Amino acid sequence: MKKIEINPITRLEGHGKIAIFLDDNGNVADAFFQVVEFRGYEKFLQGMPMEEVPRSVSTVCGVCRGVHFTASMKAMDEIFGVEPTPTARKLRELYYMSHYIEDHAVILYALGFPDFVVGPEADPAKRNVVGLIEAVGAETGKLVLNKRRLAVKIFELLGGKPNHPVAALPGGWSKTLSEDERKMVADWIDELIELGHLTLQIFEDVVLKNEGYMKLVTGDMYKVVVNYMGSVDEQGRIAYYDGLQKVIDTEGNEIGTFRGKEYLDFISERTIPWSYLKVPYQKKLGNWDGIKEGKGTNLYAVGPLPRLNVAKGMDTPEAQKHYEKFHNTFGSRPVHFVLAYHWARAIELLSAAERMKELINDPDITGTDNWNKPTSVVGEGVGIIEAPRGTLIHHYVTDEKGIVTNANLIVATTHNNGPINLAIKNAAKHFIKDGKVSEGILNYVEMAFRPYDLCLACATHTVTGKFPLEMEIYDSEGKLYKTMRNF
Amino acid sequence: MDTVVIGLGNPFLADDRAGIVVVEDLERLGLPAHFEILHTVGFELLDKVLDYKRAIIVDACMLGKNVGEILEVSVKDIFTSSSLINSHAMHIGSTLKLGDELYPERMPEEIRIFLIEVENIKEFSQEFTPEVLKAVEEVKRRIKELLVL
Repeated sequence: MKKIEINPITRLEGHGKIAIFLDDNGNVADAFFQVVEFRGYEKFLQGMPMEEVPRSVSTVCGVCRGVHFTASMKAMDEIFGVEPTPTARKLRELYYMSHYIEDHAVILYALGFPDFVVGPEADPAKRNVVGLIEAVGAETGKLVLNKRRLAVKIFELLGGKPNHPVAALPGGWSKTLSEDERKMVADWIDELIELGHLTLQIFEDVVLKNEGYMKLVTGDMYKVVVNYMGSVDEQGRIAYYDGLQKVIDTEGNEIGTFRGKEYLDFISERTIPWSYLKVPYQKKLGNWDGIKEGKGTNLYAVGPLPRLNVAKGMDTPEAQKHYEKFHNTFGSRPVHFVLAYHWARAIELLSAAERMKELINDPDITGTDNWNKPTSVVGEGVGIIEAPRGTLIHHYVTDEKGIVTNANLIVATTHNNGPINLAIKNAAKHFIKDGKVSEGILNYVEMAFRPYDLCLACATHTVTGKFPLEMEIYDSEGKLYKTMRNF
Repeated sequence: MDTVVIGLGNPFLADDRAGIVVVEDLERLGLPAHFEILHTVGFELLDKVLDYKRAIIVDACMLGKNVGEILEVSVKDIFTSSSLINSHAMHIGSTLKLGDELYPERMPEEIRIFLIEVENIKEFSQEFTPEVLKAVEEVKRRIKELLVL
């Protein structure tokens, strides 16, 4: 059996590896995505006062800082048995939506668009954000970054500290908004809405109007048929900060809904021999049945595409129009095309900006009743949010003083572990035939998992300018006969 | 202030804190610079250096050097590719190179990058490896000298 390995190696920690095994005929027998375990934060948090947890877990990941902060803050509310005041609730959501926009913008412009704007077979030296800017023009690039920067400014203003937020209180939010600040933020939000429209226009012009790209988007090589999970509001529309978790099967039928600790009734995690990362599955659909796709699988995906599959609509008017166009374009629901994650992400970017507009015009947003002070410790709490990459679950148990005794974090990349394995396998099967490994295989396989935007161990700053991928091909006798790398 | 000094790293992980500790310690000295801490590299790093005449960046690295070795490099030295696997993999070189493409008039005239070769980046600890501690002190001394000149 031949073996192909693709090794992405990050700067200091947290690396993944893709191993593709070929049969004796040179066709793909199997493919595995291997990753190091989520770092030891769950252990590190034990013994920590719960009120310190949000600030601490925001360092789990420099990129996803806001999501861990928010999920643990919601768990903290439960630990102390308090609900945030209406003002605190809305300030939290406003802050969180700004995080959505800055994060979605990075993924789209740095990862998603280069494949389409510059081209999937373009020289890797050009197929990146710099190549993207060369293609769309520096003025457009500046426009995007300038607008995105406003989302970061809102995130920092409301978070109470540059880069890493500190404003979480059990039952509250310590940073209030003055009227002057509200007006300033409202102006910025108008620009974020423009960013949403611009992003969708770019997607329309570059992808939707390109027959070849749409064939790629709707091709079997990038199709993964699994179940889906995401949050919905009381009307069944998409929800990010808080909602009911809804699970649908491969044909769109509702499997069930849950809140908080009930996740344990739905989600089970399976240890697999080739990776430190477990594979979660929907146990309402039966016991562990392996990494399989299609009707009857109990694997599920989370993130922008699953959210648009699970929700009956968006909660804002302009995003709703794009939601309808999205589903009309693909025809049948749920949409199983992995590359559609990018389109869904662009729609969510606009949706988040529109939601911010609603929040900034809400009279409660400049309220001063920002803390519902706790008086007791309940001792257990689960915070579930829809992070940009998908459902994030933080579950804590504390002692009677609110000191953490147990912590469990399930992040989007973990939920998506099974589908990521399948996406890689499907792409590899398509592009590797009879032992012929195209030079473009690296990017085509990368394209299969880039839409999930893997969050590995989250120490994110590489210095060497490289995120190397290495692919090794072994013949049926185990001898290395070819090595391909992007460095 | 004409200079920004930026420390990168995770504040809880032993040697990965190197850049952060350098910046925290220097800031306490009241030196003539603006100080920033980042736990990530991405567009945020670009935002933080814009409109300064000089940027000094300190980060931990694992490049196979001797533990505690200090490398002073330029953007040119560390830029090799803008290719990305995921958004968490943005790196100093590609981020600052992007700044040169988009904002040539707003980028610092001078960018100095200090890299400290580290060893222990998995342990939750506030203790440096001894060689890294020495390097942190040395980088502080060098930056202080740059700032008071």
